Amino acid sequence: MIYVGILIVVPLLVYLISFIWPPAINLLTRVIEANLLAAIAIPLALMTISTGRMNFGPQFYIGIGGYAAALLSIHFHVPPGLTMVAAALGGVIFGFIMSPMAIISGGLYYSLLTLLFPLLFLEATYIFTDLFKGDTGLSGVAPLVSTGNFSLNLLSYAFISLTIMLVYLFAMDKIFRSRYAIQMAAVNDDEEVANSIGVNVNKVKMIGFTIAATLVAVVGWFYAHYYQAFSGQIFLPLSFMLKIFMVTMLGGRTQIYGCVIGGYFIAFLEMILIRLTGDMSPVLFPIILLILLLVLPEGLFGLYRKRKYREYMPTLRFRR
Amino acid sequence: MAEILKVSNVTKHFGGLTAVNGVSLSINEGETVGLMGPNGAGKTTLVNMICGSYPVDSGKIEFLGKDITKLPPWKRCKLGICRTYQIPRPFPELTTLASVCVSALYGKDRPNRSFEDAMTEATHYLEFVGLFAKRNVLARDLTLFEMRGLELARALATQPKLIFVDEVMAGLNPVEAEKAVRLIGSAKEQFGVTVLWIEHVMAVLMRAAERVIVLHYGEKIAEGPPKEVANNPMVIESYLGRS
Amino acid sequence: MLGAVETTLIYTFLLGSLYLLVSLGFSLICGVLRIFHLGYAYIFTATIYLTWMFMTIFGTPPYSTTVLIIAIICMLAVQAGLAVAIYKGLIVRYLRHEEIIILGLLFLAIIVEQAALRFYPIQTGVYLETTVIHGVSTIGQVTVSNQLIFAAILGIVIAGLFVLFFLKTKLGLAVRAISYDVYSSRLMGIRVDRVFMFIFVLTLIPVIAATLAIAPIWAVDPYMGWGYMSTAILVSVLGGLGNIKGTMIASYIIGFVHSVVGFVFNQPVYMGLAALVVVLVMLIVRPQGIAKSETVW
Repeated sequence: MIYVGILIVVPLLVYLISFIWPPAINLLTRVIEANLLAAIAIPLALMTISTGRMNFGPQFYIGIGGYAAALLSIHFHVPPGLTMVAAALGGVIFGFIMSPMAIISGGLYYSLLTLLFPLLFLEATYIFTDLFKGDTGLSGVAPLVSTGNFSLNLLSYAFISLTIMLVYLFAMDKIFRSRYAIQMAAVNDDEEVANSIGVNVNKVKMIGFTIAATLVAVVGWFYAHYYQAFSGQIFLPLSFMLKIFMVTMLGGRTQIYGCVIGGYFIAFLEMILIRLTGDMSPVLFPIILLILLLVLPEGLFGLYRKRKYREYMPTLRFRR
Repeated sequence: MAEILKVSNVTKHFGGLTAVNGVSLSINEGETVGLMGPNGAGKTTLVNMICGSYPVDSGKIEFLGKDITKLPPWKRCKLGICRTYQIPRPFPELTTLASVCVSALYGKDRPNRSFEDAMTEATHYLEFVGLFAKRNVLARDLTLFEMRGLELARALATQPKLIFVDEVMAGLNPVEAEKAVRLIGSAKEQFGVTVLWIEHVMAVLMRAAERVIVLHYGEKIAEGPPKEVANNPMVIESYLGRS
Repeated sequence: MLGAVETTLIYTFLLGSLYLLVSLGFSLICGVLRIFHLGYAYIFTATIYLTWMFMTIFGTPPYSTTVLIIAIICMLAVQAGLAVAIYKGLIVRYLRHEEIIILGLLFLAIIVEQAALRFYPIQTGVYLETTVIHGVSTIGQVTVSNQLIFAAILGIVIAGLFVLFFLKTKLGLAVRAISYDVYSSRLMGIRVDRVFMFIFVLTLIPVIAATLAIAPIWAVDPYMGWGYMSTAILVSVLGGLGNIKGTMIASYIIGFVHSVVGFVFNQPVYMGLAALVVVLVMLIVRPQGIAKSETVW
């Protein structure tokens, strides 16, 4: 409970202090980015554990949520609160339709399919360009907050993104301490055996997948209203996927608290690189990430974990 | 005694190989039935089909009067069928307590069961097989005998009516083997399960089983009390070959 | 009507053979090494830009054929060395953790793409004069570049050589054995690590050949690798990962789909989508693809 207390009180304090002493704009944008990356990685952990497979295209649902929010906001002037519902609904529908993939295919085929879907989505935005404006992206999305004061806006966005991330964090924490986690861990470890002792494996997979997809879609909604624009070119290609995966990897794969650390690490690393190396940063960023990937296979969390005895924590398993 | 399992003319092909060919058997409540046969006779395939891991090519399986031929494995488990595995398949990343807890929670339909209650129940099963001391050890760190015990505890925690025990003796030394036989016997007494025991070791089945079924090349070649079956010339031939 | 049939046949042949070249390597790596070479795209980009780099080092524009040939040889050496380095540094170490291999290879592809973008942006005018046969030919109503025909024939030749290699040579037999069962192959005395490395380097050849052949006629930019890799993935999945027979059939099927959609119905925008739909349908109906087995032949 102490952690819960800290995680609520500290941001509140920071927020209050920021009224008086506003932090740099750069810092705020990085914080927002970090929160959002963590908010994507946390449901991804749920999806991974409940299906027992690694989804190589989680950004597909960012696209779903983002485009749903953007299109409704631009064409029908739907307020942001309702677009969030629409984005979540999109996540539920598409997540549910695509969840049988986790049942039918496994291993290489699952990785392929999940990898391809966001790229297919991107293709679709180019093909149906009148609707999605594939080349330029959609713009003119209503902002979430407009107080008139730019830094106050930004501060509010930071706080909202933090709230979203914390809500996801607490929700996942609760789930991972409950009986559903044990069920998912069993499915993750050995599907056939879990099936034979009474776990409805297909239901576990579909529910986990759908919930995770919905949560990721809501993050897409936030992106759309935060940037007041949405373009598949930024979020759907592999480069964004790799960022998300590095957050996951650095955080220790399925450790949700590690995702938060990973998110902040990646977001601030990006900023430092751009400051230090300027236009070489798109080349150096993946190089550094690759080195981190190889040097820290269990992420930053792995350094902590090596100290403690192996306790029960569902880890990632890659199936052939 | 009521008949709880009835297998009628069940067949399974794997490509060109017929693993199980028209096998029929029935099991009554409270029995201990042995299932024997040389390697490759189709024993594990038969058990896989009854438990639902393999679909049946033809034939019917009835449990407690219900036709379960098309039911998925988890539904069969909720009805009361469970199995252990010949080569133990523990949940590698779960502790022993957590493994048994999964069965305790999901083996039977009990929507109001709380997590803590299930954990407590799981400890009872662990105590029964003698693994209470190892309840927080990861399942993959156990010895072979302990893993077999874990398999049994995990199966028993689903509160089955019928349990398939698959070659428990393999790889155990005589002391452990004796313990295992006594464990299964006491499981029968305390939990009131019916046992179908797949085994190679004749001596065990002589003591423990009331009835023995013998398979050879996927067909049933003998059935009856152990002494009778042991002296059956076809059975002897299937194990030792024709002289 | 006859024009449509002609167009379809010719483009199916041309595109199919080209896709065969492009996909052969990917399929083999999937089938033999059983890893997903998601960084496959880097080979295309590296071929073009490394050659260009060596050309600018050894000569000045307009580049003579000799400079081109020297550049190509240097590029081959560098690519081979890079492949060995990747194999030893990444794949051998992390064979148990496939996510790391996949992500690492992806990173590699992105690094190569970004480096190409940074050092040779599109304005530089990278162009490789690798045309072997100039001019165009007209077959019936269809006019195609001769270079494209050459590339297609090259594709068939190289594929044929691969098949001969796998069927007739001892090393090819070893590769086939490994694709059946790695552990038994090890027991039989096959040096699996060496063979893996050999395959990893061998699969560079069809890709480099394809890239060099079509460089003068199709667009060249740092992002080109991904499009070809997508095709390679689609063909490999359709044909059954790792099976050469399946890959051959699948590349012509995809070639057929692309020809019909792109040249008969004249909707090139939908080419990728159509192929993807075909593959998805196949994946739902028969996930293991066209091939009867998951082995090389």
